[in-house]
Amino acid sequence: MPAPPQRRQPARQADGQVTYDFVEPVVFALLSIGLIAGGVAVVMLSRITAAALLMAFTFLSMAGMFVLLGAETIALFQVLIYVGAITVLILYGVMFTKFSDRPRALFFQRQTPFAAVFVAAVAIPVAIIALSFTSPTPRPGGGDLIPLATSVFTDFAFPFEIASVLLLAAMIGAIVLTKRDEPEEAAARRRR
Amino acid sequence: MTVPLGAYVVVSAALFFIGCAGVLVRRNAVVILMCVELMLNAANLALVAFSRKYGSIDERGSVFVIFVFVIAAAEVAVGLAIVLSAYRNRPVVDVDEIHQMKG
Repeated sequence: MPAPPQRRQPARQADGQVTYDFVEPVVFALLSIGLIAGGVAVVMLSRITAAALLMAFTFLSMAGMFVLLGAETIALFQVLIYVGAITVLILYGVMFTKFSDRPRALFFQRQTPFAAVFVAAVAIPVAIIALSFTSPTPRPGGGDLIPLATSVFTDFAFPFEIASVLLLAAMIGAIVLTKRDEPEEAAARRRR
Repeated sequence: MTVPLGAYVVVSAALFFIGCAGVLVRRNAVVILMCVELMLNAANLALVAFSRKYGSIDERGSVFVIFVFVIAAAEVAVGLAIVLSAYRNRPVVDVDEIHQMKG
């Protein structure tokens, strides 16, 4: 008979030794508050630079969430790509465009009761469905680098190569879209 | 005492809807791109949570997170290039004002 899955120890064992099982829910609650508050701030703030920096904070909280789930490699990629690359790219976009200070398009402003009804009708079933998911068996610990690399380079090798082609196409597209006109093209445009 | 899977899914859904509301409500094109990134990140959280809690020994769900990273990087690069080239044509970033391609 296989051994039953090991139960978590209670918070205080019989010999008085304190375990740290309460740390995970506390960290989860803090990261959830950071995620939700950061997301709301990105949507609500009218200063776009502050919104971009709070988006970076949201991405960092998400990396912490990945660490809490035991996916350290994904968290590393999250910090590298989202916090490192995408935030910097968006900050450059903010700096290159003169943003206007127009208020948000509050098109729900006159329809607040209808909007509340709609949000409740969507959010309550979503919350019920989401809370109905339970994990069957606790996973054993350990990093995710080796299974991740095994999956990427065996079963998903072809999509991986396709993703590299997509990145190349996006890079060329971004260069072509933002390239300045050649001098002769500008001269031709001036002659017209 | 471990955090149940449903809590992760609730946080993911909440962040997804916040990003969705941002896409609908905001007018600045750069902020819309940021809200799309929030939505992609929320989907990543759900993928990793299901992969870690449900998955067998291999990490099928997390592989898709890698692909979402690739798509997000490509999307934000091309999106910002489009915003910048539209801004160079006419200096506006409000998506309400950009209607040159409207038929």
